[in-house]
Amino acid sequence: MNNDKKPLLKVKDLKTHFHTEDGLVKAVDGISYEVYPGETLGIVGESGCGKSVNSLSIMRLLESNAEVHGEISFEDKSILKLSEPQMRKIRGNDIAMIFQEPMTALNPVFTVGDQIEEAIILHQKKSRDEAHQMAIDMLRKVGIPEPTKRVDEYPHELSGGMRQRAMIAMALSCNPRVLIADEPTTALDVTIQAQILELMKSLQDEYGMSIIMITHDLGVIAEVADRVVVMYAGKVVEYADAVTLFKNPKHPYTWGLLNAIPRLDIEQDTLYNIPGVVPDPLNFPKGCKFHTRCSFCQEKCKGEEPELIEVEQNHFVRCYYTEKVEEEKAKAKAGENA
Amino acid sequence: MSVQKTEFKRMIRRYFKSPTNLLGTVLLILFVIIAILAPVICPPKAGADPFKIPIATWSAAPQAPSADHPFGVIGGRDIFYGVIWGTRAAFKIGLVVSLISSVIGLIIGSISAYFGGWVDEIMMRITDIFMSIPFLVAAMIMTTILGKGLDKVMVALIIFGWMRVARLIRGNILQAKSEQYVLAAKALGIPDWKIIVKHILPNTIFPVLVQISMRIGSLVITAASLSFLGVGAEPGYADWGTILSYSRNWMTELSKSWFAILYPGVAMILFVLAWNLVGDGLRDTFDPKMK
Repeated sequence: MNNDKKPLLKVKDLKTHFHTEDGLVKAVDGISYEVYPGETLGIVGESGCGKSVNSLSIMRLLESNAEVHGEISFEDKSILKLSEPQMRKIRGNDIAMIFQEPMTALNPVFTVGDQIEEAIILHQKKSRDEAHQMAIDMLRKVGIPEPTKRVDEYPHELSGGMRQRAMIAMALSCNPRVLIADEPTTALDVTIQAQILELMKSLQDEYGMSIIMITHDLGVIAEVADRVVVMYAGKVVEYADAVTLFKNPKHPYTWGLLNAIPRLDIEQDTLYNIPGVVPDPLNFPKGCKFHTRCSFCQEKCKGEEPELIEVEQNHFVRCYYTEKVEEEKAKAKAGENA
Repeated sequence: MSVQKTEFKRMIRRYFKSPTNLLGTVLLILFVIIAILAPVICPPKAGADPFKIPIATWSAAPQAPSADHPFGVIGGRDIFYGVIWGTRAAFKIGLVVSLISSVIGLIIGSISAYFGGWVDEIMMRITDIFMSIPFLVAAMIMTTILGKGLDKVMVALIIFGWMRVARLIRGNILQAKSEQYVLAAKALGIPDWKIIVKHILPNTIFPVLVQISMRIGSLVITAASLSFLGVGAEPGYADWGTILSYSRNWMTELSKSWFAILYPGVAMILFVLAWNLVGDGLRDTFDPKMK
């Protein structure tokens, strides 16, 4: 745990609500977490749980119908209170972002080099030639072969994995303190995924930046994250360091997600899945938002939503009946040993 | 760089594969040559405005084509001179009006789409108001207010000619705006105007270029109809519509005045056809959705 250090980015009680024609959508509803220098924070959850909205809130890139409350502080600056020009200085320079779809996140009509240079010229006030050289160096660093040639190529001439590498080069070109990676490997096939994650880790060691890794894939989290936030329906349901979370999950949702990972070490006829679907954000259930899908659900869960409580040191869970998960775990273990 | 070149070559080859594209291009080149060589083909009198058709005769009656006046004479003016120099006038009207009105439309449409919200609302309602006025009527009223002359006609056509482009570009930008590369550029802290100019316009401009080329032809017809109605270019101006307007008085006696309709009419039809064929060809070649 890094608790002795000062957090670089601190999100406190962040609420992002959208005014839509059908009503108020509480995409993110009061989440808090910290990102310490040099660490990787994983944010996991199903589609629609608010993880991408959370990252766009930090960057202040949401549409005008979004209403953001709470506090986001980066170093000593309160991001939600900055003016737009001040915010532009932070974007790309201090906090950068990489996106899910490398196919569409690069502009098709400009060369890769052009797009990397744009940010360098803007934030670092370099000349065109210097920026070009830096773009080539960046491409080399992210493992693109023949960077002097590739720098003048168009996005359609690169493969998916190469484009994601180029995106990473673009995001890291100004040496940001925080890199938000929004499902960076989802659109790539598995072998390329591993390469990209490996690359991000080595670049993190080199540059010492913090990474917020947003994903629905616990495999990715296991690979890179130091600490993990599990989100469900706009709220944090479990928050712990990665080792604790994988060894000792306390929330039924986390337990379900972990169970849903296919295993090679035991015989499985059917893969486990969590029954039901994510509730409609316009019409969240009363009480614990997970109760409609939870196999341990009791009357109490339907009435009032549990608070996020610290069950062990630095391990937060939003559930009344964490002991039921414990029983289940014990049973599973017994079954395996038998 | 080499990739770009071969891609360009491929485009050119694809363009000229179609005989209609070839025909359009050849016609257009022909018109360009005529416009450039106008002072050689029909040298104007020294010191006179070359766009004024010199007076050939003071008799009002039309004169059939002859060796001196190959396309005949109407209203005392040499039709051949009018058709040749009219080519220059046609290019002037078409290019200037369509370019300036498109730039206006481009600016209004892109500001409207990019900023959205009430900016969009106000700008699009203004566009609607301009669109709700019938074009020809509006242009006629404008020229009556501004006075006669080709430049006045051009001003009128520009004022009432930008809306279609504004709408087209707005729609395209709204689509491009939701592309992830725009969000990615924003996430890098690129300022708004740069995102519009660099990331959005190059991805949306092409349909506008096709529209411009198609409009050049039809604008010439509109200008000619204004001249024909007597609110366009001043009498004696070397403009196809002006020559046609002379034939108005002789319409009941076509056997005596057919040449005054035929030659400028054919020139006009071929000019419009050329631009339409070229515009069509450009769209077929460059619009990826048409493949």
